[in-house]
Amino acid sequence: MFIEIEKPSKPNGTQPDDACQTCERGLGSLPDCGPFAVPFVAKQASANPRYGDLQALDYGTLFPDLNLPFHLKINPAELADTPLNQLRALDFVILELGLYLDTHPYDAEAFSLFQNYVALEKTARENYVAQFGPLSQKDAGLGGAYAWVKGPWPWQYSEEV
Amino acid sequence: MFMYQKKLQYPVRIRNTNPALAAQIISQYGGPDGELGASLRYLSQRYSMPYPDVQALLTDIGTEELGHMEMVAAIVHQLTRNLTDDQIEKNPGFAAYFVDHTTGVYPAAAAGFPWNAASMAVKGDPICDLTEDLAAEQKARVTYDNILRLAKDDPDVTDVIRFLREREIVHFQRFGAAIEQVRQHLDTRNVYYTNPAFDPKPAVE
Repeated sequence: MFIEIEKPSKPNGTQPDDACQTCERGLGSLPDCGPFAVPFVAKQASANPRYGDLQALDYGTLFPDLNLPFHLKINPAELADTPLNQLRALDFVILELGLYLDTHPYDAEAFSLFQNYVALEKTARENYVAQFGPLSQKDAGLGGAYAWVKGPWPWQYSEEV
Repeated sequence: MFMYQKKLQYPVRIRNTNPALAAQIISQYGGPDGELGASLRYLSQRYSMPYPDVQALLTDIGTEELGHMEMVAAIVHQLTRNLTDDQIEKNPGFAAYFVDHTTGVYPAAAAGFPWNAASMAVKGDPICDLTEDLAAEQKARVTYDNILRLAKDDPDVTDVIRFLREREIVHFQRFGAAIEQVRQHLDTRNVYYTNPAFDPKPAVE
């Protein structure tokens, strides 16, 4: 069906994986030969470096290389170090690592980190629910009364941070 | 299935009301590049995506967008709480919204037209749908840039908008990687030889 075209040899014999090592911070690797007429976004080589979990939530990404803020608001206000924000931060890191693993499922280091965060989050969630009430409807079965219907709901303004 | 978590992904706590700003930010709830369209786009594109890893990505980003829809609604709700008749009269930008919806949260664009499914696409072809998704993330990013320009006097608002804007950039990166994953399944010399969501797998030539 197709005419066999001889592929050009790779410059200096570089392999795509070697290319990852030579990329500067914030730059991902591209193939030696890219396809015509298809969108191409450079590949994020690894899940390193990373922010700490509360800082990741603050910035909106776990990855410094993807942190590309708009000029009008470069330094965010620091999030208060409350139990709810700590739980949010753990959930956020799991979500960020999860999206990364969706496109890098064979990154063993990232998966191991994902597992560690899942374990941390489980404990933090149980402690939060025991102290402050249900986060999911089934959590409401753990307390003495049906607390699911108690406000405030998350979208409401609260004086508390 | 989906189950509700009784918390926001990122805290929304707007101390000062500002109905005029709410009437602009509502666009990211129900406007052409808003979070309602984003979640429906990705969650609807899953069914014709032939590859399980990309189905996972569409599911996960589509689900995150539902949480963003709730955050944008929380901003609008908090910016319009405890308003008086007088405040509404003095804000013609919000009065037009108020006359139809009072202070309810309704999916509409800043220009007033209600959410429209024509603002998103499900084409049923993997490269086409993922290219749409790259563009969608960029359009949402620019809308947040523009909201940051308009909201710069309220740090409670810009702090949340800045978070949502950064998520668009991360999603763009992931969709870009997904296109490469799709390409690995296709004929390297002609990725458009078939639509793998519809055509049977061609015999090896």
